[in-house]
Amino acid sequence: MRLLAVFVAAALIFVGVWLDYRSQMARAGSQPLDAEGIAPAPAESPAPAPELTGYRADLGHLPDAPLLGFVEVPEGPFLMGSDPGIDTLAYDVERWSAAQPQGVVDVPAFLVGRSEVTVAQFAAFVEAAGREVDPQALAEPPLHPVSFVSWPDALAYCRWLEELLRESPATPAELRALLADGWRVTLPSEAQWEKAARGGDGRIFPWGNELRRDKANFATGRLAPVGEMACTECPYGLSDMSGNVWEWTRSPWQPYPYDEADDREGLESDPLWVMRGGSFADPVRNVRAAIRGAAGPDVRRQFIGFRMVIARR
Amino acid sequence: MATSRRKRTPRPGATPPLGRRPSGPGAKLGSQAPDLRRVFLFPLVLTLGLLLLSLAPRVADNARLTFAFLAAVAGLLVWQGVLFARLSRAGATRGFRVVLRPQHYLQALVQLTVFAVWGWYWRPVYDFAGLLLAQLIFAYAFDMLLAWSRGERYVLGFGPFPIIFSTNLFLWFTDDWFYLQFLMVAAGFLGKAFVQWRREGRRTHIFNPSAFSLGLFSLVLIATGTSDLTWGQDIATTLTFVPAIYLLLFGLGLVVMYFFRVTLVSGFAAAALFGLSALYAAATGVPYFIDSEIPAAVFLGLHLLVTDPSTSPRTRTGKAIFGALYGAGVFGLFWSLEAVGAPTFYDKLLCVPLLNLSVPLIDRFVRSLQSRPRIRRLTEVRWATANLVHMAVWTTFFAAMTATGRTDGLHRGDMLPFWQEACEEGRAGACERLVQIEASYCADNAGWACNELGAHYVEGRIVEPDAELALGFFARACEAQFQAGCVNLLDPSVVSRAPPRPLDLRLLLRQGGLNLIDMPEPALYERACSHGWQFACERLGMEVR
Repeated sequence: MRLLAVFVAAALIFVGVWLDYRSQMARAGSQPLDAEGIAPAPAESPAPAPELTGYRADLGHLPDAPLLGFVEVPEGPFLMGSDPGIDTLAYDVERWSAAQPQGVVDVPAFLVGRSEVTVAQFAAFVEAAGREVDPQALAEPPLHPVSFVSWPDALAYCRWLEELLRESPATPAELRALLADGWRVTLPSEAQWEKAARGGDGRIFPWGNELRRDKANFATGRLAPVGEMACTECPYGLSDMSGNVWEWTRSPWQPYPYDEADDREGLESDPLWVMRGGSFADPVRNVRAAIRGAAGPDVRRQFIGFRMVIARR
Repeated sequence: MATSRRKRTPRPGATPPLGRRPSGPGAKLGSQAPDLRRVFLFPLVLTLGLLLLSLAPRVADNARLTFAFLAAVAGLLVWQGVLFARLSRAGATRGFRVVLRPQHYLQALVQLTVFAVWGWYWRPVYDFAGLLLAQLIFAYAFDMLLAWSRGERYVLGFGPFPIIFSTNLFLWFTDDWFYLQFLMVAAGFLGKAFVQWRREGRRTHIFNPSAFSLGLFSLVLIATGTSDLTWGQDIATTLTFVPAIYLLLFGLGLVVMYFFRVTLVSGFAAAALFGLSALYAAATGVPYFIDSEIPAAVFLGLHLLVTDPSTSPRTRTGKAIFGALYGAGVFGLFWSLEAVGAPTFYDKLLCVPLLNLSVPLIDRFVRSLQSRPRIRRLTEVRWATANLVHMAVWTTFFAAMTATGRTDGLHRGDMLPFWQEACEEGRAGACERLVQIEASYCADNAGWACNELGAHYVEGRIVEPDAELALGFFARACEAQFQAGCVNLLDPSVVSRAPPRPLDLRLLLRQGGLNLIDMPEPALYERACSHGWQFACERLGMEVR
């Protein structure tokens, strides 16, 4: 009888502790790390974005437009880098080489997002993939550019979107065909970004050589919704190529002349990834089309976001 | 309820008991009440002390820790209230007998020395001092009330010290789960009081109290996969922060051996572990344990956990068998725990209760040996200084182990390049161990280790290929500033590798947890070179040792 009482008491204590453990785990919204030391997806997902007019909720809130807001940049050469003779604000790192200020780079055709990736689009990814991100990334209004995202966060989003576009029956046939042909959703290379920003004529700003405050959100100290400043004068009609947020590229920081074949060199140096375009917090000098910034891959800041390209691998 | 029932012969060093029942012809029931009240002041003061400790900032700042303290205080108060009322009604009283046993205070002093030195190199130990004190207070009050509830006088001495210290040298719960620590302490004392048998004509507890509660809680933690509620893993690894930890433990162990004649237990346990490790290494070409031939925490266990004289055999042969079984048990448990994917730090804890249970079997076996005249002659060799001789042999053995680099010296199990090479050569279990070590360093944010893991999952040579897992590891490597991880994340179809960066080396060369953050780069590369990193030797213009 006494033994039975001991067992019952022990069992009751065990059940009590176990219930406490379960409730604590549920409250923390987490579970113990797995064997690889990686935390599983958070239990709580971000609140779903409200229905946004002009965007496709079934396709991760991409624009309801032909090619889902992607714009074609045709194959061809363009002038990369800055000529201080024309652009007096140019930095040394934009100079092609000691012998020449600019270089000609031939870029195959690709598609580029008309706008920066928005908070709503990124939230759809976080919700679907259960990815843990900096909560500040989802704190801005849905149509603001997403920020507080690291370089791996941006790549993970691209991978997720590619999978979504491959699998969804709602994906336009042309995009589906490109993906089936080996094209990938990814970040732009430095050359792709610069060509998309300034076209082939080497202009200083995406809209031309003159400073225009109505064309870019810079030096304002606040984020603006994507596409708020339309740019019909820009070569491919892209918005926010200057200002709003710096945009991650898939190019590691390397001195010019630019050569994509160098991307796997210097693996022992500090990892810095190029970002382009300047932000709402930058002066005019930093929102020129040839501006080159760089940050560590783990950096998450309010002034750093990204846009996507669809390009052949 | 009866009062103290057994007459005890006063021992030297024992003070007159407090709170004895008046027994003269004029004694009245009413006159006993003040005595009982006086006696119950002790647990009450201890309980109030515990309540006072709950006001300490660390406790007050954590609601769950505060709850643990208040629950312990409430439990003790209710218990003493009920007991007091019952004894008052029955006209009974209770008392103390002060007995200061060297096996308690000497063990406690040795354990306290370990805490003091360990805390010097790992700050959380000192930060934990308040919670250790709380457990001691709780243990005294709990043990006292338990004795009185069982109708016994409480033997006041240093008994709870080695139990609490010994428990805490191996396992603490985190602050959020500290009520389980109080439960674990309670379980130890309950086990000591209730799980008993008759041995050599007197009733005695079966289990070493701390080992009983540690074993019981370890089993539950393993079964429920909740080891993350404890500091167990950190405790097991941070002992190696102490320079020359083996030498320190050896020295402290000699004190215990000298006074309590447990040399055979510790010595045979160590010899069994060294021997089995050596056999394994000879057979497979890889070391059995990672950080040493005997992990420091196990070395601590074989000196301070398994050496309780009252729960181990009394004969010399029995002690030797007991020690050897502990060594073999730890060896087997390490393998078993690793095989089932459980944390291996439980290896030294789980086998002690089983060994305690096996003591009658060992005694019987020794008796059967001694019934054979030849063997009896061997086992009956008695030198007046037998323990000193054992200690001398043990010292020589330890010196030999140290001289051959099997204790505090550099251990090849700690060298990642060794495991890479062993894996390449296909030595038994080497690839699994390599992945395991890299996973542990990756969890510490060593980008190099994460990139290597990602590469393994892409290549699929030593693990099943898993593209998703590979991307996860590359992303982690990239965020940890390892550029090869970033380029692999961008395009995992071509795997890039690079040698560890200084940031990685500061993690990879810690040998369990040394702080290398401020180590100058030349010294870091020198250390890397001595750990078998060829690129570091080349950078220094040195030959690989």
